[in-house]
Amino acid sequence: MLGDDDLNLRDMTDEELDAAWDLWFDLAQATNDSDPPYTHGVFVNLTWDDVALPDDGRPDAP
Amino acid sequence: MSRNAYFDLTDAFNQDGRIVLLASGQAVVHYRLAIMSKDGDWIVRETDAACRRVRTVLAERRARYRPGAPLDPRWLAGGWSSHFELTDDGGRRLRCDFFSRPPRVSPQDLEALFAASEAPAVVDVESLIRMKRTQRAKDYPVIGELARLLPPDRELELTTDPDRVIELAPRYASDRPAARAAREGRLALVLALAAEADRLQQDDRRRVDVYERASEPFLRAFRELDRDALALPQSHDRLCRLAERLLPMTVGEPGREDAR
Repeated sequence: MLGDDDLNLRDMTDEELDAAWDLWFDLAQATNDSDPPYTHGVFVNLTWDDVALPDDGRPDAP
Repeated sequence: MSRNAYFDLTDAFNQDGRIVLLASGQAVVHYRLAIMSKDGDWIVRETDAACRRVRTVLAERRARYRPGAPLDPRWLAGGWSSHFELTDDGGRRLRCDFFSRPPRVSPQDLEALFAASEAPAVVDVESLIRMKRTQRAKDYPVIGELARLLPPDRELELTTDPDRVIELAPRYASDRPAARAAREGRLALVLALAAEADRLQQDDRRRVDVYERASEPFLRAFRELDRDALALPQSHDRLCRLAERLLPMTVGEPGREDAR
């Protein structure tokens, strides 16, 4: 998870770090529909079954 | 070129004074350790003015509430978290999470961070490590990397990396069981670190379970709301009224007094 490429973040300029984050964030949008509903906070154990709204458009939405 | 959208939001929230501190995954980016989180998490000052400012910035960006507590000091003070989602100009989904009582961080440490207005508005490394002591196994290798940023005596107290404990334990005094186990050999050390991580994970799971059970009636009602009803700013008052009926402001979190 924390390979040499990750640790090389320390050698980047601020601009390079922003560019790397921006590219990664663009690519990471591809997994939006399969992300867990929460990654932090006190609702972190809830599933989509627990929190999906009727018009969420997810396959498992009620 | 775009800047990290969550760094930009942090600046916008704090434009008129420091009211939020960037935490969790984007703080890990700030410390240049890894890019591994799609969400933004902030510690927000537990005041009406701070919550109002955050809601205003989010409303300007057409954010809407996700299931969670209202962004209001009455619930934040009880340890609850508030959650929002918005779409940026590039069509990308941003998720924004807020809390004012991060687990395992003392109020004194938090107050010092908010007072240090010249420093970046980011949670300090040691507090970040304490917040990362969650039920998720994937947070523990990150703790080891974060601990490398600390002075060596503090690294010994907090690292999850057995190689670092082996290197540091002979040089610094410590009452940490893992540091003592290092004198008995690598296997004893690894077992001590695993036991410590398991205890922390179980503690966090118990803590979160209390909130999950207490939120069930509220979340059931929340799911009956239509999406348009969740857009800021108009959704806030409606959500507060719902929470006043169905979401307890305090839940008796296990071990909380000890942790703080």
